[in-house]
Amino acid sequence: MYAREVAGRELTFLVSGKLWRNSLIMQDEETGTLWSHVTGEALEGELAGTTLEVVESVQTDWRSWRDRYPGTRLLVKDTTITGSRYADYLDDPERTGLFRARWLTGRLPGKTLVYGIHVGPHAAAVTDGFLSGGRAREIELGDRTVHVRRGEDGGVRAWLGTGDGQTEPIDVLEVFWFAWSGFYPHTEVYD
Amino acid sequence: MKVAVTIALLVPLATMVAAQQPQPEVHGTFEGEPMYTVLPPDRIPAIRTPEFVTGEEADRLMAPDEPVLGVVVQGDARAYSLWHLDRHEIVNDTVAGRALAATW
Repeated sequence: MYAREVAGRELTFLVSGKLWRNSLIMQDEETGTLWSHVTGEALEGELAGTTLEVVESVQTDWRSWRDRYPGTRLLVKDTTITGSRYADYLDDPERTGLFRARWLTGRLPGKTLVYGIHVGPHAAAVTDGFLSGGRAREIELGDRTVHVRRGEDGGVRAWLGTGDGQTEPIDVLEVFWFAWSGFYPHTEVYD
Repeated sequence: MKVAVTIALLVPLATMVAAQQPQPEVHGTFEGEPMYTVLPPDRIPAIRTPEFVTGEEADRLMAPDEPVLGVVVQGDARAYSLWHLDRHEIVNDTVAGRALAATW
């Protein structure tokens, strides 16, 4: 999730109808600026060059979330919605985005869900299998060590070693491999 | 403080809807990669005025294994069904006074 406030101005985002690197481009109503949903960067328009602040969120299932946060509320949903509109797409391993995924090199099936982590230009894609067992795992990014772990609420989080024995939380993107490899073709894979 | 994050970004926008279009228009090129226009703006309607129900009410609307995006700001916990977000992609929400965009 992203903060909608940019330089003291509250933005309202809509779906631009554009795709870049096989992923959503958002547009704000106030300035018309185009934003990448993956990086939070403004690519074109008045706010080009600025980046949205990321706000922590997790992807999990309703039962786990409700157990962890009994007071949670839910965005009201029509009772007719009982599955993904994209179920066929999600279940079809051959369909990887709308356009040719250029950097699929067969390292993982395109539809593998990975946890994408990057430190500067150094990127890693971590799979569910790598994180099974619930323990924190260590990966190397450039010359830095990153600890990755799946938490009790089902969300995957990562911490960057700062060299003095401390760690700081860093961003984790949950994403299909075909999309991650499009943004970071030279990514390491931890499977 | 910077926080760890999971951004959900599972489904490339409108892939299904746009699949019929043989030759989408190129809007521009960014970092060497083309940006395609596949739908008019707002054809997939973002949610601008979200409304919420309690967990008890939500249990009647949700399958236990239904995927959700969850966020907590100052103790205010909110979940968004990803099956629901498929239809909207973006929710413009305000949680504990913070203006947030849930994006999918």
